[in-house]
Formats: sequence, C-alpha cells, structure tokens
Amino acid sequence: MTPLLKKLATLIPTLIGVTLVAFFMIRLIPGDPIEIMVGERRLDPVAHAALMAKLGLDQPLVVQYFRYVGELLQGNLGTSIVTREPVLGEFLVLFPATIELAFAALLLAVVGGLALGVAAALKRGSWLDQAVMALATVGNSMPVFWWGLILIMFFSVGLEWTPVSGRVAIEYDIPFVTGFMLVDTLLSDEPGSWRSAVLHLALPATVLGTIPMAVVARMTRSSMLEVLREDYMRTARAKGLPPGRIVVVHGLRNALIPVLTVLGLQVGGLLGGAVLTETIFSWPGIGKWLIEAIARRDYPVVQAGILVSALTFIVVNLVVDLLYGVVNPRLRGGGH
Amino acid sequence: MSAEATPQPQPSPARREGGPDVPSPLGEFARAFAANRGALVAAFVFAAIVVAAVFAPWIAPHDPVQQYREHLLTPPLWQAGGLAQFPFGTDELGRCLLSRLLYGARVSLLIGLASVLLALLPGVALGLVAAFFERYASPVIMRAMDILLALPGLLLAICVVTILGPGLVNTVIAIAVGALPGYVRLTRGSALAELQRDYVVASRVAGAGTLRLMFDTVLPNCMAPLIVAATLSFSSAILETAALGFLGLGVQPPLPEWGSMLSAARDYIERAPWVVTIPGLTILVTVLTINLMGDGLRDALDPKLRQAA
Amino acid sequence: MALLEIRNLRVRFGGFTAVDGVDFSVEPGELLGIVGESGSGKSVSMMALMGLIDAPGVVSADALRFDGRDLLAMAPVERRRIIGREIAMVFQDALNSLNPAHRVGDQVREVLRLHLGLKGAALESRVLELFEQVEIPDARRRLDAYPHQMSGGMNQRVMIAMAMACKPRLLIADEPTTALDVTIQAQVMALLQRLQRDQGMALVLITHDLAVVAQMARQARHRLAVMYAGQVVEQGTLPALFDAPRHPYTEALLAALPEHSRGATRLNALPGIVPGRHDRPTGCLLAPRCRYVQPRCVGERPPLAHDVRCFFPRPNTNNGAHDV
Repeated sequence: MTPLLKKLATLIPTLIGVTLVAFFMIRLIPGDPIEIMVGERRLDPVAHAALMAKLGLDQPLVVQYFRYVGELLQGNLGTSIVTREPVLGEFLVLFPATIELAFAALLLAVVGGLALGVAAALKRGSWLDQAVMALATVGNSMPVFWWGLILIMFFSVGLEWTPVSGRVAIEYDIPFVTGFMLVDTLLSDEPGSWRSAVLHLALPATVLGTIPMAVVARMTRSSMLEVLREDYMRTARAKGLPPGRIVVVHGLRNALIPVLTVLGLQVGGLLGGAVLTETIFSWPGIGKWLIEAIARRDYPVVQAGILVSALTFIVVNLVVDLLYGVVNPRLRGGGH
Repeated sequence: MSAEATPQPQPSPARREGGPDVPSPLGEFARAFAANRGALVAAFVFAAIVVAAVFAPWIAPHDPVQQYREHLLTPPLWQAGGLAQFPFGTDELGRCLLSRLLYGARVSLLIGLASVLLALLPGVALGLVAAFFERYASPVIMRAMDILLALPGLLLAICVVTILGPGLVNTVIAIAVGALPGYVRLTRGSALAELQRDYVVASRVAGAGTLRLMFDTVLPNCMAPLIVAATLSFSSAILETAALGFLGLGVQPPLPEWGSMLSAARDYIERAPWVVTIPGLTILVTVLTINLMGDGLRDALDPKLRQAA
Repeated sequence: MALLEIRNLRVRFGGFTAVDGVDFSVEPGELLGIVGESGSGKSVSMMALMGLIDAPGVVSADALRFDGRDLLAMAPVERRRIIGREIAMVFQDALNSLNPAHRVGDQVREVLRLHLGLKGAALESRVLELFEQVEIPDARRRLDAYPHQMSGGMNQRVMIAMAMACKPRLLIADEPTTALDVTIQAQVMALLQRLQRDQGMALVLITHDLAVVAQMARQARHRLAVMYAGQVVEQGTLPALFDAPRHPYTEALLAALPEHSRGATRLNALPGIVPGRHDRPTGCLLAPRCRYVQPRCVGERPPLAHDVRCFFPRPNTNNGAHDV
C-alpha cells in the first residue's frame, strides 16, 4: 500500500498546481472580470460592485483561490455563461462520450499496434516489416484532423459505409443511462440501435487511434527485437513450448514494459486529438464543448474543461505508473 | 641562370605530428548521416520546401489573398476542368491553392523555428541551472515543469491561446510553453550525468568558474540529444500550428495557414476534394521529411540512442 | 542401442562451418563430457540437437537419433514433445536464461503442465519436490521469487529443477558452472552427479574447463570427447584420456591444469588462439599451434582414426606416421 500512497503524495503538488493554473487562467484574460466570468456587460457601477462582492471578486487573490478550491471540492464547476446552467451537469453528460471515443481509440491502438509490431519483429527485414515501419513513420507525421477528413471522404462519402457525425442515427431515441452509447443502446429496446452506435463510433475511433497505433507499433517492434535476442527465449524453446506461447507469454510479456511507458505519453496526445476528432465528427464530447466554449467566450466552461482534462491526464499517468510496477517485476525490490 | 635557380620540387606539406589523419567530428557525422538514405532524401526535399518558402513571393503564381470570383473551386491542373493558371486549383473563395500553400509554408516554418528557439534557449538555461544548483533550484524548477506537463500538448496550447488571444505571435508562445519542460528535463538529465564524470569533478576542484563549466564543458556534451529533440519538436510544432489553425485559434486570416485552409475545406469534401487532400499532404510531407531527418540525426550522432532497427 | 546417436553432424553459418562432421553417441545413464575452447563448436552441436539453431544456420547430419527416433526428419510438433521432456538442456548464465517477468516456481510449473499435464495438488507437490531435490533451501517460499531476487547458484538450481521436471533420459548441461563462484561450482557439479546416479540419466557435460570434468567421478563408463575448431580430435573413456592422452591438444589441455604446473614458474599454456572464420588452415587445424607439428600435418587434414584425429598421436612410439 505504501508505494501507492507515496505516489499519491507526489501528485499533490501537481494537483495544486493544476488548480492554480485553472484559477489564474481565467483571471489573466484581459478585460472586465464580470464580463469574462459572468457574461454581464455594461452594468451600472452599483450593480457591478454588488456582483463583484457576491462572487468574492473584490477579495484578495489568496482568499479567492481557496474559495475556488472549496467550490471544486463540492462539485461546483461554475455556471455556463451561455446556458446559465451549472457546468457540472453538462459535463457529466458529455464526458462519457469522450471516454468512450478515447477508450475505443486506445483499444485499437494497443491491439493493432502490438499485433503489427510483433509481426514486424518476427519477420524482420521482410516486406511486412518494411511496410509496417513505413506506415508507422507516415502515421507518426500525419495531422489527425486531415486524416479524419480523408477517411470521411473515403468511407462516408465515397463508400457510404459509415455516417459522418453524431453517436447514433437520429431516428433512435436512446435514454441516457451510463452515457456510453454502446451500453445504452443495448439497454434500450430499439433494435438496430447498437449497430448504429458501432458504425458511428468506428470512424472517429479509427482516426483518433491511428497515430498512437503507429507509435505503439514502432516501439513494440524495437522492444520485441531486443527481447527475441535474449537468452530466456532460447530456454523457452529448449523447454519444448509451442511457438505461440513463446512469443506471447515469454516474449511479448517482457517487450511490453517499455511500450507501456510510450503508451502513457500517447494518452496525452489522445486528449488533444480527441478535441480535433470530436470537432470533425461533431462528436458530442468535452473536446467539442471546449472549443465551442472558447468561440463563445464561455470562460467558466473553458476553465472547467481545462481543469478536467488535466485531472484526467494525471489520473491516467498514475494508472500507467502503477501498471508499470506490476508489469516489471524488477521494480518490486528484494533484488540480489 | 645561376645554379640555385634550378627548380626544386616543392616539399610535400608537413604532416602533422601525432599519427594518421583523423577525420573531423563533423566529417564523421556527415558520413553517418549520408549513409541513411531516407534521411538524405528527406533532407533534400526539406531543403526544397525551405527554398520554396523563402522565395514564395517570386515563385507563387498569384497573390495568396486574391480572390478570383469567376474561378471558384477550380480543380488542379491534372484533373478535368483544371487550368494552367491555377496549378493546384482554387479554393472556395477563388484563391490560388499553390500560392496559399507557398505562403503558408513561410508561416509554418517560421512558427516552427521561432517556437523551437523560444523553448530551447530558456529550456537549456533552466536545465543547466537545475543541474548545477541541484539542491535549491532543481525541486522548484522541476515542480514548475510538472505543472506545465499536467496539460498535454494541444490542450496547453489552447489554454495559452485562450488567455492571450489568437494570432501568430501567441501561437509561437503557446507552442513554446508546451515544449519547454521537455528541454528542461533533457538538459538537466544530461548535465547531471556529465557532472558526475571525472573530468568535470577535476575541473571543479581546479577551480573552474561555474558559468564557464556550464557552457564550455558540460553543455557541448549534451548537444546530441538536444539537437535530435529540437528537430522532432520542430515537426510537432508544425502539426500543432496546423491544429490550432484548424480550430480557428491560431494564425488568423488573412494570413494563409495550412491548418486553417483545411478547416474551411471541410464543407467541400464531396465537391472539391483537392482542397482537402493537397494542403493535408503538404503538411504530411513537411512533417515527414523533418521526422526522417531527425531519425537520421539521431542515428548519426549517437548510435546508442537509436532504437534497435 | 545408443540413447543418443549423432553421425556426421554439420552446422554451417553462411560460408563458415561451425561443426564439421562430428559423431557422438551416448548410452543410457552414461556421462559424456565435451571439452573444448570457445569456438570449438561444442555448444553449437548440442543446440543443433535441440533444434535451437536458427537461420542463417543450416544443420545437416547422416543420423541424429534419440532412442532410435530421427530428430531431423521429425515434424516440429513431435519434436517439441521430446525436447524439454525426454531431452533437457541447462544453460550457462542462469539469471539471463530465466524469464525475468515470471516467478521461478511458475517457470518450472510451465514444463510440468505442458508435458505431463499436471494440475492442482499434484502439480504443487511435484514442484516443491523438485526444488528440494536440487537443494534449494526454504523451497516453499522461493517458489514465488523472481530470478533477479536470487543468487546465481540458486538460479542455476532452478534451471536444473526445470530441466529435471519430466525426468528426462538425457540432460545436456552447457557450461553449467562457468558463471558461478568456485565454491558454488563444486556444489552444482556434485548435484548434477548425484542426480545422474539417482535417476539413471545420461548426462552430456559441455565445458571449456577440464578441471570441471576432472571433478566427475572417474568411472570407466564415463566418456570424454575433445573438440577443436568444429571437429572431434580425440575421444575415449575418462580415465584413459586423463591418464594417457593421445592427441597433442588433449595433452596440452591437461598440461594447462594448474595442478600439472606445480613447481613451475609459468603455467603451461597453449600459444595462439582457435582459428576463426577466415583463418582455417588447409592442413590439420591445430598445426599452427602444435609443438609436434610435422610437414605432413600442414599439407593434409587428418581423419578421425581409432578415436584420434592426428597423424602422429602421443605417445609416439614408432617415430613415424600413424598408419591410417
């Protein structure tokens, strides 16, 4: 338990820092604070002063900061200037959509990347290997939003296999249970809706997952090549184990270790990529919400969006860190 | 003629004492780099892009903001309906695509270079300070970097742009802020490793001043990974610039920018696909060539950095 | 019928012949020591037997038979049923030869599950029994350890346990003690000997160190083959080779043992190194280093005759060529 607590302890300064960033972000924007944070313009001085006092904006910054953190801990993310609704409510509806998209993309990246990387390593120097490396290099250099447009052009417009926007076809009315469309469609009694949800998720997840997949494939290949040279692989063969087991249980198991580190870094890219992907596919997640809020100067929403994204990233990195300790037994101490 | 005027053969240039000719580090590096054909081809292509960008005002067939109302959405030269006048066709406002791409290259390359320098110089300085004054400076600097790292790439840039507002200069700042922690960490790591080494300890004991130690002794040995990192962040800067442009948060019209060109093109996927494919391919090729050069640099500068190939 | 019969084994890597037409045979319960410097091809020949030689290596042989069954002609699936079960191998560097991500107990369990189909309580008791058999103290706790948490000697015992798990009829030990401390070396060698006796198992011991072989009991059944640059240069029973070596190389190896240099100011060493890929002599491969070299040795390659590959085997009573 202690290593976990220790890791959490090192996070605290970062968490504080993130809240500081979110806090100051909105106060650094030039202009009238009331206009920025509430959206009211051209108030007469009395009303203005009253509103300042009500929101605590006339207090010293330190006090304001603690008030902000207090509100956060109570789940108050502020009020949207545009909708006049609490930000938290909208956020809870939209967040699962982004999670669903990011998760599907990650799954694709991991499964696809590992498979391609292992195949390339096993058949080093072959056409397969060269093709995988070439695709991985190109995939790494591609703008994700352009890739999305190209795939739309090809699959949605050209072949008409997949829809262009949204999470499920309009004619279905799916009640919100978990927020994950793949789950909610199954729970609803609308036949064909699940298939529709899958088709809607397919293209955005592919777009978002392509670049991480390229990175994972490259890393897996190089890691696997090193592992294949190791003595314990020879021992595994001397034990008469079937080749599949040797590659996966003995080889990949060790090759995964550096890949995991890379994966952690990729998740950050996923968050940024999600913003772009959601914009192209009109996917109703927090990325699209964030961009629209910026355009509409709905600063409380922007602040909340940034804060939540940062927190998600921190949590994911923590999970990767812990997984790393599990996957790499040499970190568990008791070394001779 | 006197006897002394008999021409004597010139003596061969004196060989330097100390052994056979040793190739200079630069020569070694150039050879290693050239051995990687992908990197070499990439370098040539990139050079062509740079030249095209620099000479854009002379090469571009038209003014990038000039709208030709009679020629909206003209296909490129090689397609049916294409015109020699507009080799890559025109966009939805009748602007020459090729010209916009050429001028856009200036914007992207400029932002890329500026953001790398803006992150590299302070980053290296902070990294060196963190390494040399490890006890007091390092924790503070590294915590500050951790805060910056709490927001992944694009989101941090979006955050900065929200505060400062859109535009070219602010895009440079936004990207630089995101790249800064990487340089700080890299420099600090390399410098700390160098500081352990015997020759540095000896210098310090001999009384070498800190500044001199920093710049003359330690820094040159950290150069290799820094150069590779700078190249790779140059390509990421171009991608980020395009992403911000696409979202409308970066370079603003009327400055032509590759990403914002794609944003406007979204509505014309069916009717005029070239408005989407061509600018995107330009971004892809530019970034790809820089990445290939970066890989080549890494392999040539330090084979140990290279991933098993 | 011999348990293991190898005839004319050849292993080539591109243009380089690592193993050049060697013959081995091992009877059930017998010890065969294969001795030679690095580069002699001793490890490669056994790895070829186990099917561990990959491209670009090419393995060929007139016969490669285990228990009468042709290993070369066998389908890979069938071969895998023999390897690890009836023939097992132990390698030199135990720490690197064990999978760092798996617990040592699991690595032994793997063999038992796969080859013997053991499960549950039977599996657990067998694993524990094996660990105790190889003299790992505090066996129950060590089952859950990772290789990096144990010493070299312990890891080597784990490897032996893993190899012995299915009660193999033949165990190949490739430099099992080279990476270990001298005191541990003696313990591991004693363990191998004891296991061989108790299980009636044939043991092929590969080593570059004659002193290790010397530790093995001088039983008449135990045999020794000396290899040099891919060829067998002498073979015979352990006592015979130790007491009356006939090939100059064997003689030199014995002379290099520290106990044979007592009282001398310098250790007896054989000058020169094993010929590499590019400097194989046309005549006898040892000719450049042999103190008894004659003109015939440089011109012709001696065949293996009466278990010696030399035109002028020691002791040279005839003062002339050994009739071939």
